[in-house]
Amino acid sequence: MTGHPLPEALRKAVEADSRPVRALPALWRRILAIVIAAVALLAAVVVTHTLRPDLETLSIWLGWGATIVEIIVGISLIGLALRESVPGQAIPRPAVAIAVATGLVVNFLVAIATWVGTKGSGMTGMPGCGVICMRTGIWIAIPAVLVTLILVLRALPLRPCVVGLLGGAGAGLMADGINHLLCPLSDLRHVLVWHTGAILCLMAAGWLAGKTWEILRSRRG
Amino acid sequence: MDDLSPDQKRLVTLMVGYQKGNMDDFAVLYAELEQPLRRYLWTFVRDTATVDDLLQTTFLQVHRARHTYTPPRPVRPWLYAITRHTALMHLRSRRRRKEYLADEDLPEVPVPPEVERLGDRLMVRKLLLELPRSDREILTLHHLMGLSFAEVASVVGISAGAAKVRAHRAIRSLRERLASEGAER
Repeated sequence: MTGHPLPEALRKAVEADSRPVRALPALWRRILAIVIAAVALLAAVVVTHTLRPDLETLSIWLGWGATIVEIIVGISLIGLALRESVPGQAIPRPAVAIAVATGLVVNFLVAIATWVGTKGSGMTGMPGCGVICMRTGIWIAIPAVLVTLILVLRALPLRPCVVGLLGGAGAGLMADGINHLLCPLSDLRHVLVWHTGAILCLMAAGWLAGKTWEILRSRRG
Repeated sequence: MDDLSPDQKRLVTLMVGYQKGNMDDFAVLYAELEQPLRRYLWTFVRDTATVDDLLQTTFLQVHRARHTYTPPRPVRPWLYAITRHTALMHLRSRRRRKEYLADEDLPEVPVPPEVERLGDRLMVRKLLLELPRSDREILTLHHLMGLSFAEVASVVGISAGAAKVRAHRAIRSLRERLASEGAER
């Protein structure tokens, strides 16, 4: 030993709660929980909802392929959020920006590919259907958000805003991947405004939730 | 765990024992890490009493979050990240309360050996204090605490390359300032 002995006050505080604790599972095991949640969510939505009528005519890549790609990128973003929530595993800010931008670009590419793939012949939609789509996207994202939140709360996020942003983007993208199988509208304006809008809303909500947490924690001292 | 140094392996063993509820392991960890953490806290705050308080708060935080350490990862980056967060929270609340330090409160800032070699100890100390806090922090973590640039990056939340660049830039800036101070005399 090279330093000072344990101060009395600290020793008492530590001894008051000296129960053994189980170390946080490795990152891949926490990501596995998200993968299971995503598969369960996809299965539940496919079983309980009517899929888009043009799914048969869309190529496998534009239908299920786009969904799987969005879900995988979403899970990767949530994985980054889980990594960031452990002290000493901070993700550089440029990497956070690149990851979030990649998610949005993937969503944009899926929207363009589906629009081109359906030759703009998809249904044009009725007034108010955009709001329904956005609401569906956010509803589908809620289970993913809850699982992420439970895993994050088990850890100690030192930059909750970053965790919230990544988690929100990941859950939003994952939900949009599933929503892609439901929404019959391929119109680019509809997808960019309401589907991408839902992802942006979830990102903003995650960031705000993180900011609120940070403020409350700093006030509590 | 094979790629860890014997010192790092020992810290991992202590940390695992501590997670299993062995408070003797916590006492050894405290004794081993109290001085390095104290030196690291000096890069954020400038008086002994606050450093003592923050050290205590850090170890309480460590205790509450001991389950977030995942063996066999190195212990130091995890611990320094919690220490850094505690110090930044303190600085933020002090800014909110609009508390500022007078210049006469200038601290015994820790001088990394790499920097100490550059010239007169007192002058180096003074110039080190004039560096931006983020640069001083990286110099301290790398040159004084012995963390690799990858570990520094994971503590501070920047890339390893950026940490390396900042450290080199800080050393170069110190060297230039020392040269100009020497020329003025």
